[in-house]
Amino acid sequence: MKIVIATPLYPPDIGDPAPYVKELAKRLAENDEVTVVSYGRLPEKVFGASFVSIEKRHPLPLRLLRFTIALFRATRKADVLYAENGASVELPAGIVALLTKKPLVLHIGDKVAQDKAESGVLLRSIHTFAHGRARKVIQIIPKTRPEILPFTKRPDAEFDAYERSWNTHIHELEEIFTHGT
Amino acid sequence: MEHNINNKDAWERYCTHELAEILPILEELGFVADKEQPHLGGERYLMQAVTTESGKKLILLGREKDGNKRVVIKVASDPHGVRELLHEQVCRETLAKMNFAYDVFLSPRMMIFTKRGRFSIAIQEFIANDRPFIERPLPEQFSFALKALKAQEGARATTYGHRRLIKRTFGEKTASDYVRTFANFKTHISQELPKEKELHAILEEGALLLRAESEIIEQYSGFLTHTDFVPHNFRIADDHIYLLDHSSIRFGNKHEGWARFINFMALYNPELEHALVQYVRDNKTEEELHSLTLMRVYRLGELIYYYTNTLAKSSGDLLLLNRARINFWSEVLRATLRNERVSPEIIQGYTKMRDTLRDAKEKERQQGLH
Repeated sequence: MKIVIATPLYPPDIGDPAPYVKELAKRLAENDEVTVVSYGRLPEKVFGASFVSIEKRHPLPLRLLRFTIALFRATRKADVLYAENGASVELPAGIVALLTKKPLVLHIGDKVAQDKAESGVLLRSIHTFAHGRARKVIQIIPKTRPEILPFTKRPDAEFDAYERSWNTHIHELEEIFTHGT
Repeated sequence: MEHNINNKDAWERYCTHELAEILPILEELGFVADKEQPHLGGERYLMQAVTTESGKKLILLGREKDGNKRVVIKVASDPHGVRELLHEQVCRETLAKMNFAYDVFLSPRMMIFTKRGRFSIAIQEFIANDRPFIERPLPEQFSFALKALKAQEGARATTYGHRRLIKRTFGEKTASDYVRTFANFKTHISQELPKEKELHAILEEGALLLRAESEIIEQYSGFLTHTDFVPHNFRIADDHIYLLDHSSIRFGNKHEGWARFINFMALYNPELEHALVQYVRDNKTEEELHSLTLMRVYRLGELIYYYTNTLAKSSGDLLLLNRARINFWSEVLRATLRNERVSPEIIQGYTKMRDTLRDAKEKERQQGLH
């Protein structure tokens, strides 16, 4: 399966959903053909995945346009578009889903952006537009990777829980990508 | 009064002259300086930051006339010193306004920032350390250091709007700046110390590495980093970390602050150095670990450059000590380039020599500093 992941943040950028998207790309790339379209310059690479980065150091209209074009090019050859929430991705993702007729799955991985979308007319309209184009909207976020700290016992139980939550999440996503539910 | 204070006598004359004028002004403002001023003595006269905004200024300890609240007073009259104080104040204010900084840096409360006659004066609340950082148990040191270093990663300037704001205030260093500056360190050190062929070779190795891996440096650039993040520039009180020096904040490689701190600990607490590097190895990507090594190399080059510049301004035991410092930090650079740790024998040998050569005033200044 060919999957395009669109995200406003990707490591080395900080903040949600950057670490989630990197882990997702890594795990999906084990079985699927994955392309990550993100804002940024030099993303942390993941074995087996392709990356398209759109420079953020341009005025907003220009970077939105470039992102939309890049996302369109990647998505027209894909089976599914998986987009993180946030206006800078929701708007291009909604447009691209409309133009390419490819299924859009919207993931609410950034609660701050979600709250922002509730507060302003423009952001709410963009969110409603992307939401309306989405085949499915999901909110599940698997556990974050536990830290290994010196002077502390390795958190084996937390690592097991982390792995389980990711396995469940990937299984659910594969169901959605394949069957739409 | 000469512009460059490059020897101890001139520094002492400068301090006496400035204090005679500033103490009555402080009195008018409602503050009294302590009789003993540890930050004016010892090797203070040699100190000049290498790559950040830096000028002549006096750092005094004192108290409020009414209420006895302890304060730190920074005073400058020369244009570079005044610019440094202004720069620090603007950095403090901008940091507070940055809506893309995810974490809050705690700062001592600024009580007065004013100009009186030819003096710029900044008076801020004194934050008492619960106890010196390096006297805390190792796990506690690790925990505080990690918290502070992570906080520095909490702000990244990546968009058009961010960059407009930061360029005006903090300044930014890119990969090519790091590569070029290190090359300048190397050239300057080689000119000043023409017989140190081994050192030249290590610096050349460092310069080649930075140039070859500049993309990794760039990958982790654009982060808010404190370029002089060492224990004497922060305080811990009630489990909160307060940054004392805001003039050394800039946007650059996110590991620049880590590198300064870890290099410092290579001398003062090698176990903490090891724990922090191990933390990065266990929890971060290969690229991040590599970026940290590159920044350690850069900062070690800067440190050797700094001590090279002190040679012409020092004599007697201090000259011997500064030569020993160059040798020691060269050993740390060599070890870092090989992904090794400098041996305990080298650290002990250097520490012993340093403690023998340091003068009494400097020993006093160092007490409880870290």
